[in-house]
Amino acid sequence: MQDYELLQDGLALMALGMGVVFVFLTILVISVTLMSKLIDRFQPAPIAVDASKKSPSSPAPVSQNDEMLAVISAAVHRYRSTRRR
Amino acid sequence: MDKLVTLWEGSGLYNLELGQAAMIMVGLLLLYLAIYKKFEPLLLVPIGFGGILANIPEAGLAISALDQAIEVAKPAVLQQMAAALGASLDPLANLDAWRESLQMIAHDGVAPDQLRAARDIAVGVGYSDGMLYNFYKVAIGSGIAPLIIFMGVGAMTDFGPLLANPRTLFLGAAAQFGIFATLFGAVALTSMGVMDFSLNQAAAIGIIGGADGPTSIYVSSVLAPELLGAIAVAAYAYMALVPLIQPPIMRLLTTQKEREIKMTQLRPVSKLEKVVFPLMLLILVALFLPDAAPLLGMFCFGNLMRECGVVERLSDTAQNSLINIVTIILGLSVGSKLMADSFLTFETLGILGLGIVAFGIGTAAGVLMAKLMNLVSKMPINPLIGAAGVSAVPMAARVANKVGLESNPHNFLLMHAMGPNVAGVIGSAVAAGVMIKYLG
Repeated sequence: MQDYELLQDGLALMALGMGVVFVFLTILVISVTLMSKLIDRFQPAPIAVDASKKSPSSPAPVSQNDEMLAVISAAVHRYRSTRRR
Repeated sequence: MDKLVTLWEGSGLYNLELGQAAMIMVGLLLLYLAIYKKFEPLLLVPIGFGGILANIPEAGLAISALDQAIEVAKPAVLQQMAAALGASLDPLANLDAWRESLQMIAHDGVAPDQLRAARDIAVGVGYSDGMLYNFYKVAIGSGIAPLIIFMGVGAMTDFGPLLANPRTLFLGAAAQFGIFATLFGAVALTSMGVMDFSLNQAAAIGIIGGADGPTSIYVSSVLAPELLGAIAVAAYAYMALVPLIQPPIMRLLTTQKEREIKMTQLRPVSKLEKVVFPLMLLILVALFLPDAAPLLGMFCFGNLMRECGVVERLSDTAQNSLINIVTIILGLSVGSKLMADSFLTFETLGILGLGIVAFGIGTAAGVLMAKLMNLVSKMPINPLIGAAGVSAVPMAARVANKVGLESNPHNFLLMHAMGPNVAGVIGSAVAAGVMIKYLG
C-alpha cells in the first residue's frame, strides 16, 4: 500500500517537474524574444551599440583630443586650486 | 614487549577493515581513471584522493569528534557520553557492543542538546573533528562550494548562441526528462522491492541525468546527504563518458538525412542583450521559482560579471583561481563521503545503473524534441543538437558537432549546439529547484 503511494508521489513529482521546467523555459523563450526585439528597436544596428560602448577604451582621434583637453584642464585647475591654499 | 604490542595495535594494518581496504581500492581506481583515462581529472583526482584519506584506519579524517570518540575512547568516557545521551550501557556487554549501541543511539534521533552535550564530552577529552569532516561541513554541508562553482560556470558561459536562437531552450527543457524518468525509475525499483530508496533519494539520483556536477552535489546535499558520495562519483564519471554514451543513441534516433540538415547562420548578438539576459533570468527566477534562486542566482551573477565588462578582475577570479580553489575543497569533501559503510552497498550499484539510464533518456528526449520542433517550425533544426540539451558543457555540444561532421564534413554544429547546451544548465537548475521545493 505504501509502495503504491510512493509510486504515485514519484509520478506526481515527474509530471509537476517536467511541467514547471517547460513552463519556465517557455516564459524565458518569450521574454528573450521580446527583449531582443525591444533592444533591436531602441538601439538598432549592433555596430552603433558597439561604437557607443567602446568609445572609452578605443576612441576616435577627435574624441581623444577632447578627452585629453578635459583631463589636462582638470589637472591644471586642481594644481592651481591647491597652490592657492 | 608491551610497548611493541601497543605499537602494533595502533598501526593501520592491525586496524584495517575489509570495507576500508575495498574503499581504498575504489579510491585508487578513481585516480587511475582520472590520470590514465582522463575522466574529469579536475574532479576525480581530489575525489579519489579524498576517498583514500577518508578510509585510513584509526585516523578518522572524515568523521566528527563524537563518532571518533565512540570508536576509540576509553570505557569511562563512553559511559560519560552514554549518560549525556540519556542512555545506559549494559555492564555485562563487552566494549565493542558498547561502541555499537552508542553509535546507534547517536545516529538515531537524539535531541540536539543531548547530542551537543555528548560532543562536548568528546571534545573535552581531546577528540576533534576530522579534517575532511570539517571540509565537508564548510564546503558542502553549507551548500557554498557547489554554488561558487556554479558562479564560475556562469562566468565561463557565453549565452550568445542561445540569445540568437532562443527556441533551443526547448531542447534544454526536453532533455531534463532524463532526470524525472530516472526518479520514477528509482521509485519503481523500490516499489518492486529490488532497491530501497525514499522519494528524496530517488530525486537526488535522478538529478544525475542533469549531467551537471555542482547541481547534483547541491541537490543531494539537501535531499539525501547519505548518497552524496555515490551520486557525485556517478555524475562526474558519466560526464566523462558522454562521448561514448551519446553517439549510439543519437544515431539510432535520427536518419542520415536528418543528420545532414544544415542550420542557418546565427545572427550576431549585441552586448546589451548579453548584459540584460542574466538580469532578466534572475527576475524571472525571483518571480516564478524562488527555490532555484541559490543556483540560478549565482549563475546569473557570474554571467553578469562576465558580460558587463567593467569587473574583469572579478570575472577572471570567478572563472579561474576561485573555481580551482573551490574544486579542490569540493573534491576532497566528496571524497570524505566515500566511506565503506555508506558506499559499499547494493544501492550504490543501483545509483550507478540508474545514472547511465538517466543520461540515455535525457539524450533521447532532446533528440526527439528537436525532431518534433522540425515538424512545426520553418527554420530547420538538426536533431543532433537536441542531444546537447543534457548540460555537460561543453562536452555534449562537441559530441553533437562530431556526429554531425561524420555525416557531412562541411556541417559545423558546434555553435548551434552551444544553445541547447547552456539551456540544459538552466533547465537542470530549474528541475533542481522544483525538487527542492517539493521535497525539501
